Amino acid sequence: MTAISEAQPAAHAPRRRSVLARLKGNWLQFIMLPVALLWMSPLIWIVLTSLKTKAEVFDPEAGFLPQALNFANYPATLAVAPFGTYLINSIIVTGSILAAQLVTITLAAYAFARLEFPLKRLLFSLFLLQVMFPIYAIFLTNFITLREFGLINTLPAMIVPFVASGYGTFMLRQSFRQVPQELSDAARLDGCGHFGILWHVFLPLVQPTLIAFGIISVVTHWNDYMWPLLVTNSDNVRTLPIGLGLLAKSDSGADWTRLMAGTVIVVSPLLLAFVIFQRRFIDSFMHTGVK
Amino acid sequence: MTSTKSNISRRQLLGMGAMAPLAGLMPGLIRPAMAGDTVKLQFMYPVGVSGDINKIVSGMIAQFNAEHPGIEVEAIYAGSYDNTEQKVITSLGVGAPPSLWLPINSALQTFLGLDALEDVTDLARNDDIYEDFLPGFLNTCVSDDRLYGLPFQPSTPVLYYNKDAFRAAGIAKAPDTWDELLEVAKELTIRENGELKRWGLIIGGGWHDWMFECYCRQNELVPWRKDKVLFDQPEAIDALEFWVKMVNAGVMAPASTWQGSANDFMAGQTAMLYHSTGSLTNLRTSAPFEVGVAFMPKNKTYGAAQGGGPLMIAKNQTDAQKEASWTFARWMTNTANQAKWSKATGYLAVRKSSWESAEMQSYLQDVPEAKIALEQAAFAGAFLQVPGYHRVREYLKSALDRTLAGEIKPDAALIEANTNSNREIQRLLRRQKG
Repeated sequence: MTAISEAQPAAHAPRRRSVLARLKGNWLQFIMLPVALLWMSPLIWIVLTSLKTKAEVFDPEAGFLPQALNFANYPATLAVAPFGTYLINSIIVTGSILAAQLVTITLAAYAFARLEFPLKRLLFSLFLLQVMFPIYAIFLTNFITLREFGLINTLPAMIVPFVASGYGTFMLRQSFRQVPQELSDAARLDGCGHFGILWHVFLPLVQPTLIAFGIISVVTHWNDYMWPLLVTNSDNVRTLPIGLGLLAKSDSGADWTRLMAGTVIVVSPLLLAFVIFQRRFIDSFMHTGVK
Repeated sequence: MTSTKSNISRRQLLGMGAMAPLAGLMPGLIRPAMAGDTVKLQFMYPVGVSGDINKIVSGMIAQFNAEHPGIEVEAIYAGSYDNTEQKVITSLGVGAPPSLWLPINSALQTFLGLDALEDVTDLARNDDIYEDFLPGFLNTCVSDDRLYGLPFQPSTPVLYYNKDAFRAAGIAKAPDTWDELLEVAKELTIRENGELKRWGLIIGGGWHDWMFECYCRQNELVPWRKDKVLFDQPEAIDALEFWVKMVNAGVMAPASTWQGSANDFMAGQTAMLYHSTGSLTNLRTSAPFEVGVAFMPKNKTYGAAQGGGPLMIAKNQTDAQKEASWTFARWMTNTANQAKWSKATGYLAVRKSSWESAEMQSYLQDVPEAKIALEQAAFAGAFLQVPGYHRVREYLKSALDRTLAGEIKPDAALIEANTNSNREIQRLLRRQKG
């Protein structure tokens, strides 16, 4: 009996079974693929629009794909502003902020997590308060400070106000507190000082947090518009978002094709970096639970 | 094809990286300082329309600097009108304003309240300003009969219409009165099985308070004085009731955005559009159909409110800088430059002589639509020049939006906006006195 019933379907439907098996093994893919496409769609749309002609963008008859790949928008965009200089400035500013922040938040978080000193709680509350302040509320005071330093219209003007981060300190302190006390005690027995413990024990363990914070910091400062606009005057110290601003006009509606070409130029370095370090980033988010 | 690669070499990159920290050591660069015999001026400007305006402005300034050896103007692009105002007010706050800036004309009372503006009345009297500038434009810089700047890039809303759609519906000409507007909009609205395919009319959102002032002016009401607003007047309520009538008739979109409305027009989703003259070039070149331009329809009269901005000169600077600033403002608004600027951007030239110039005449032959806005400007005045106009605009826009969404009656909404706006204006005036 069993032999017959088994043999019958096997005889004419080996194919269906393999499809079913494959479906079973890969069902997640079938859900993820549309989701991935959905997530990709704005990016694809940006790239496609950047290759269209101006009339094509609004012509309801025209299809989703450009009729001919029109790369002319890219040189036309680059002609609007010195995007090369802007790109270098963006890299310098974002990179310097990240490097400085990693040093300051590591030291501050270690102090708050593992050291005892007077007024620790009060100071930590002040750090948290800084997270809650909207950046716009302190624009003028920051501006005055920078002006006293003589830093207006320089690259440091965009870096200095952001070298410390209350948010980063808070994030890292929480991670440090999860590191077992025994590990640092053991390191101390082996002769490590505070810096030794920090370097050999804490930092390797909180790498995912550092990476997560790095992404947030880079994306925030890469896209920052208002502060760079306020403290810079000359093209040679300005950053990419200001170049994009030139294409999003207020009086006449945006210049969509060139705006999209500019957007591709602005986001591609970040996307590229993300693709290269993808595995590490995703690991880090899995560990920290940041979404 | 040109290469899209940046033309910056590695050497330059490294050099710039090394120089960057040094730039901070040169505070002398920051303030407009007197260096030898050269007067240094900073000029902050926004970029409001498409086309390579930024290039045009910096090109004009480079030319000015070349022609005037004693003066050096630094061109500072400062984002949108709002961004520019924030940047200028921040600099005023630390006592180091730029020599000149280009705000939207509504900001006049804001800057006067900060005591920031140089009175240029006498300089203008000794010049041909009062004779040659179009009075409608010049008036946007006047408060209490004193002149505080030179108009540079005025614009007004106009009625854009889809000529192909008009032809298909058998309509010969653009509507000239509110009643005709409603009729034409009814004929042009397309619904299939109750589903909307095309609006008759969209009023560009985001600036619909600007359009609303035009409607008030078409009802013979200027809805503000320099220290209060008059949104609760019957003329204003009547104008809003007309909007509600169009929305209830299903021919006008109850809400839109500034860029979205222009996109909808170009995509054929509305047959008529109220938008700025600044959009003329963009709409003309991007729309896949023939674009018509007409006066905004009248009710009791034609009427429009001026957008765009004047060049303003800072009070808090040396006499040499003020003199150089005037020279610069005067040069930017001379006959030839205004003709060139108008042609390149779609803004309206401020001088009669510019419109009469050969260059402008030949442009008008090619683009007769540009003339419409000029003719309409004869009926135009300044837009909402009250202190704290940002907040007032928000109150008014909120009132308009809620009324068109059917949440509140027109008179109640406008009276509420009027009360809130006047309270805000009074608060600011008290603070200025104190």
